[in-house]
Amino acid sequence: MNNNTNTSLLVACQQCDALYDRPQLKQGQLAKCNRCGSTLIERKVDSIERSFNWSLAGLLLMLPAILLPIMGVTLAGQFHQASLFDCILVLIDRGFFMIACLVFLFAIAVPIVRLAGALYISYSFKFNKLKPSLLNFFRAYHHLDNWAMLNVFMLGIVVSMYKLIDDTELSVNLGLLAFILWLICSTMSAVALDQDYIWDKLEQAFSKDEAQDENS
Amino acid sequence: MKTAKQLELTLCPKCHKLNSLKAEPQQCSRCNGMFYQRKRNSLQYTLAWNFAALLAFIPANLYPIMIVYQLGIGDEATILSGIGEFIDHGLYPIAVIIFTASIIVPLLKIIGLFVLVYKVHTGIRLKPDKHSKFYHMLEVLGPWSMLDVFVVALMVTVVELGFVTSVAAGPAINYFTITVIFTMFAANSFDPRLLWDKKADNKIATQALLLSENSPGTLPEEKG
Repeated sequence: MNNNTNTSLLVACQQCDALYDRPQLKQGQLAKCNRCGSTLIERKVDSIERSFNWSLAGLLLMLPAILLPIMGVTLAGQFHQASLFDCILVLIDRGFFMIACLVFLFAIAVPIVRLAGALYISYSFKFNKLKPSLLNFFRAYHHLDNWAMLNVFMLGIVVSMYKLIDDTELSVNLGLLAFILWLICSTMSAVALDQDYIWDKLEQAFSKDEAQDENS
Repeated sequence: MKTAKQLELTLCPKCHKLNSLKAEPQQCSRCNGMFYQRKRNSLQYTLAWNFAALLAFIPANLYPIMIVYQLGIGDEATILSGIGEFIDHGLYPIAVIIFTASIIVPLLKIIGLFVLVYKVHTGIRLKPDKHSKFYHMLEVLGPWSMLDVFVVALMVTVVELGFVTSVAAGPAINYFTITVIFTMFAANSFDPRLLWDKKADNKIATQALLLSENSPGTLPEEKG
């Protein structure tokens, strides 16, 4: 074999670089690497519809999740409650800029950008409005893969509730419910998004580079 | 088993499109991104981030991470002493969770990546299948170390009752976040495909050695 091999008929494992013939998958099937066991290609069920709906729901839940108070404490007759947004304001107020930045980035900004990105991509596919800029957009979207930490923040809420329940009167507010729903929506929208399908479609739509390659 | 590298193919890390390798950095024919066949200077970057993370981990454990003020009197707690308090109060599940997230996971990541880099570099007792699974686990566990930071952030915000009780974050929190973020960078810059490459190289080298040992006098036998 040489450089003229048709690369669209082959697929390589991301983890170990093993080369396979591209399998033809139906919705809901996935192909795994024989050598290292990681997923090669996955075709998700109803990817576009599902990620569109999940990310839309997530964006609607975003405001209540951020602005409604998550929990409050009562101690010695004084009551104080805080939302996610308060969290950042208080941290800035008291001079903890670094944690304020981190909480803002990992628990607010990155999840929102990812939700909005998933919504934009699935919207473009759903209503067939593909633009060449989507290539760059979707590539940039992958940069944020590791940095959404809503699930960790959720565990943080649980742990600090355990901590507080001992010596204060703890009250849970509607914000917690909204936050949990927001977490579920943002996770599901990321899970439902079928990357291989989207890249294949984008390639078919904008394959001018491919044509250039074959000419040269 | 053939790898993409042997056939001069290369996989785009972003869109997973196979490209035939022309020049490095290669431009992906699908997403137009520039990339290298293997992550550039992967081992060096991993080592550098790892050392930085290890350095930051020392002050993270020595300085107090959280200061609880009750009626104006401050009570400092480091990560370990905080866990000790949980055990004293009998909150064992929380103690285990915090201990795992803020001590075991960062240390496991740092030591694990050192071991992986060492194995790839020397090729001694390399088991790519097991090691790549281990690497995958490290990658997934990474963000969970941020738990302690979020807990402190929440405590600072929620427990704000003026003079009666308030919580402040200690200097360790900054070092700790640096540790976590650096270990995430370290894990990101490690390329698990190097494990398989090294294994394949080892095989070829030992085969060549066997052949050269057999060769004097007699003709080398053809072996698979």
